[in-house]
Amino acid sequence: MQILETVILGVYLVLMTLMGIYFTKRAHSSENDYWTAGKSINTFVGAFALFAALASSSSLMGAVGSGVALGVPFLFAYGFGAVAILPFTLFLVSGQIRRSGVNTLPEFFKQRYGQTVQIVAVFIVVFGMTFYMVPQLTASGLIGSHVLGIDYKTAVIVLGIGFTIYAALGGMWAITYTDLIQGSVMLIGMLVLSLIILVQHDGFSSLIQDALATSPNFGDVTQPWMSYFGLFLAFLWFGIVSPSAVMRNFASKDAKTARRSAMWSCLLYLLIFAFGFIVAAGGASLGIADELNNQDMIFVSVIESYMSPLLAGIMLAGLLAAIMSSADAMLLAISAGVARDIYKEYINKNASESTVTKIGFVVMVVASIIGIIIAINPPQLIAIMVGWVGGFLLSSFGFPLILGIWWNRANKAGALAGMLGGAFTFLLLVITKPFSLVSEPIIAAPVSLILVICFSLLTQPPSLDIRNQVNQYHSDDDEKSNIKKTVG
Amino acid sequence: MKSKSRLFDPGIILVSILLICAAVVLIWWPTDVYLMGISLAGWLMFSSYGIWFILAVIYVVWKEKQSKTKNN
Repeated sequence: MQILETVILGVYLVLMTLMGIYFTKRAHSSENDYWTAGKSINTFVGAFALFAALASSSSLMGAVGSGVALGVPFLFAYGFGAVAILPFTLFLVSGQIRRSGVNTLPEFFKQRYGQTVQIVAVFIVVFGMTFYMVPQLTASGLIGSHVLGIDYKTAVIVLGIGFTIYAALGGMWAITYTDLIQGSVMLIGMLVLSLIILVQHDGFSSLIQDALATSPNFGDVTQPWMSYFGLFLAFLWFGIVSPSAVMRNFASKDAKTARRSAMWSCLLYLLIFAFGFIVAAGGASLGIADELNNQDMIFVSVIESYMSPLLAGIMLAGLLAAIMSSADAMLLAISAGVARDIYKEYINKNASESTVTKIGFVVMVVASIIGIIIAINPPQLIAIMVGWVGGFLLSSFGFPLILGIWWNRANKAGALAGMLGGAFTFLLLVITKPFSLVSEPIIAAPVSLILVICFSLLTQPPSLDIRNQVNQYHSDDDEKSNIKKTVG
Repeated sequence: MKSKSRLFDPGIILVSILLICAAVVLIWWPTDVYLMGISLAGWLMFSSYGIWFILAVIYVVWKEKQSKTKNN
């Protein structure tokens, strides 16, 4: 066990749990507070929260690890799609979906397409987000077992329970404010690590030369073109199709704040990938890729090779921060899906707000347990698992959501066909493996698009009310009236 | 906003620019040309990060100007 690093990680976990406890009362005062922090988050906090929710273990551990193992262009492909997440979301959905006044993604599908689509969407959210917990838990288990000197299984269980507690207690309030801290730790940690690497290698140019001298394939495109394209597609759409990211929009004060938050978090994400390039070059120059059993551990080795134990402890806390801040948002999306969109909507319409938030709490705990069980024997590398989740959500939600906002003619039949057809095609491709890794959405997403368009055109157009609603998504009217309507 | 004018929405215009930039990189895909020992295809993807942020800034400013003009 590495004492100093363990103490820092311990202090960090306690601090986050205390924040969860601090926000418990406020979060449980109403459903709106629990799931969307009272729709009152400002630009600064919102930008960090959105950034922290997106910058998961994959952005850091997965991207750096694969950049060293598969050549730095693979890391660049991550950023190529991942940095574009924010502008892409901003251009197509941020303001519009905030203006719809709903609290969750399935609730949006209900408003736009009706109840059947909402129920299908909840199942996809719960399935996708529960699986997305697995790479996060895998990463936390790897870090935990390395630092604490305990076995991987115990580390997954202990850390998994840790972030479930504060997310379940404090809801979106705790998640947003812990994300502010986690985002800052991540960013500053990456900046410091990059500076140390640059100083030790006498600058950028000599760092790249050192990396190429030790790992001659560092600068090469080593994988088939389809893998880079698939990775780009899956990440590009992640902000739109990931319920955990979309929910951040609902927490913003208004549409203008949602747009500004997305813009600034784009800059933060850009910096993380720029620092990631330097860290990957530092890792390549160490020549450790072939020595490690798990390539996802490359980043941890880089941290320990270049930093003092104190800084390494803070940096590992930053890595853990990246994992926790993404996993807590996923937990919230799962719990909102079951408690709000299924229980309150279809099982007990008269359920009190406190009952619904309590059910949300129980759902979070159950989802964590399922995630922990799968993560004990993870099916793939972190980067691949994250690519799968992004691809699955894109193939099922991507076009029903975009066309629902931008095309008045899209209807319930089209949305259902697009969601189910896209999800089924994606799963079929993952199981039968006819193409290279993470390239499944290249086929499954266009299938979903074609199905939405064809089924919508072949069936009755949506009602006038729905079409007016779609026009409302694009209106520049003051959003406050809309919010009052929804909250009140 | 009517359906037809949505084609000229800043979001649609800028998303088209984003997709065109991405398409140029992915279609050109110069893997055999190297700069500082790293494939040019990689450098092109890396340089896109800055373009994505600039597009985001343009959108936010554009939308805010648009609503200011409408309010006035």
